[in-house]
Amino acid sequence: MTATTQRAASRTKAKERARFEPRIVAFCCNWCSYAGADLAGTSRMQMPPNIRIIRVNCTGRIDPSFILDALYEGADGVLVSGCHPGDCHYTSGNLRMRSRYVLLKRLLEQAGIEPERVHLQWASAAEGDVFAQGVTDMVERIRRLGPNPVRRRR
Amino acid sequence: MTKRAAFAQLSSCWGCDQSLVDLHLKLLDVLPELEIVYWPAVVDYKLKDLENLPDRSIHFGFVEGSCRTREDEHLLRTMRAKSKVLVAWGSCSCYGGVQGLANQWTLKELLERKFLKAETITDGRIPDENVPGFKEDIRPNPDVVPFDVLLPGCPPTSDNTAEALSALLAGQPFDLPEKTVCDQCPKVREEKHIKVVHRTHEGKVDPERCLLDQGYLCLGFATIGMCGAQCPSVNTPCKGCFGPPPGIKDHGAKIISALGAIAEMSPEELKEAFPDPLGSFYFTDYAASYLSRLVGHTKEEEQ
Ligand code: SF4
Ligand code: SF4
Ligand code: SF4
Repeated sequence: MTATTQRAASRTKAKERARFEPRIVAFCCNWCSYAGADLAGTSRMQMPPNIRIIRVNCTGRIDPSFILDALYEGADGVLVSGCHPGDCHYTSGNLRMRSRYVLLKRLLEQAGIEPERVHLQWASAAEGDVFAQGVTDMVERIRRLGPNPVRRRR
Repeated sequence: MTKRAAFAQLSSCWGCDQSLVDLHLKLLDVLPELEIVYWPAVVDYKLKDLENLPDRSIHFGFVEGSCRTREDEHLLRTMRAKSKVLVAWGSCSCYGGVQGLANQWTLKELLERKFLKAETITDGRIPDENVPGFKEDIRPNPDVVPFDVLLPGCPPTSDNTAEALSALLAGQPFDLPEKTVCDQCPKVREEKHIKVVHRTHEGKVDPERCLLDQGYLCLGFATIGMCGAQCPSVNTPCKGCFGPPPGIKDHGAKIISALGAIAEMSPEELKEAFPDPLGSFYFTDYAASYLSRLVGHTKEEEQ
């Protein structure tokens, strides 16, 4: 590559980055975070439109293969949002999720996939603001990483 | 009428062939019904012997090993063309095998590690003459050509292979069971509360109780039950070498899902507990995992 073509290539890359709108799948538990997301909406809080929410009864219901499948199908990031520890409607589903999350991050890291593409947060039904901030942070995090390589290829 | 059978070996350890030969006199139950047209692991056949056969002239083609070299892939495609029923024989063939764990690195890194940086090597060089050339990564054989029968195991037990052969000879389907190694295991199980994970060599195993209950990473719960729980029966944790039961898309995801439900450990303790999670959770089937497929896409992107 000559210096000129190199510069041109890096300019296109930078442009692609600027244009890049992350697509993020968010798994929200019915009892806390989904209600929190609802509250954020009805209170007209600002948050980026990059997430597609999937409601589950409990974060404990989220099999790690759902998250891997979402990445494999081209999601740029996966956000899991559940009740605070101690507040789970089913006692401890969120703690199970936390253990799975810790192990999943280890696997992603060892495999050479940015572990930040998957994120776990807690947001209660009253915390519309926490939910909205979590989404904003997630979108920023993924914007920095760039598109999921699977998606870039398609 | 005898049926024509062929046994081909791609990159592998020969263990699946060994396991078949271990049938000893029981081999005599099936051998008279077979006409073996290709079995270079045991008799001196050449590749051209296979290539010269008419297409679809082999009734049962068994493929051991996975494609690390271009020649492996040629042999696999030839076996597909010549065989009516193609059997993925062993975990290498079904899922990529132990060598699939190499997908954590690029081919360049692997070649340098093996041929230039290995501790025993002075004056190393990467061979590039008169060799078929390596594939960039390992893929499960069923991603390369369609298969008719899957027979996992590292290796499948002698009886597994004999049963598959008998079913094929009788014209019956050979379906994989839904049960797990735990379903075949004689150990006494309790409610699980894992507070600490031991390495296999640590502590003393109580031979009566479930190994997982005692804090050993026994993967019987996530592994297809075909081997008769041969490892836990001798107090050795199951490493999951047969892969997951049918319907489970990802072995490691299934394992961490279950561990999440039974581990009573802090996030820090959990992180510490598994120094090599890919090696521990995908012993023979990393190449078939979501992770390896995701990374495969990344590598192609970079090229
Ligand atoms: S499946 Fe296991 S026993 Fe069979 S060839 Fe592969 S490594 Fe060897
Ligand atoms: S020892 Fe292993 S295979 Fe046996 S019941 Fe326990 S987990 Fe399952
Ligand atoms: S017990 Fe597990 S590791 Fe041992 S042979 Fe059976 S499936 Fe393989």
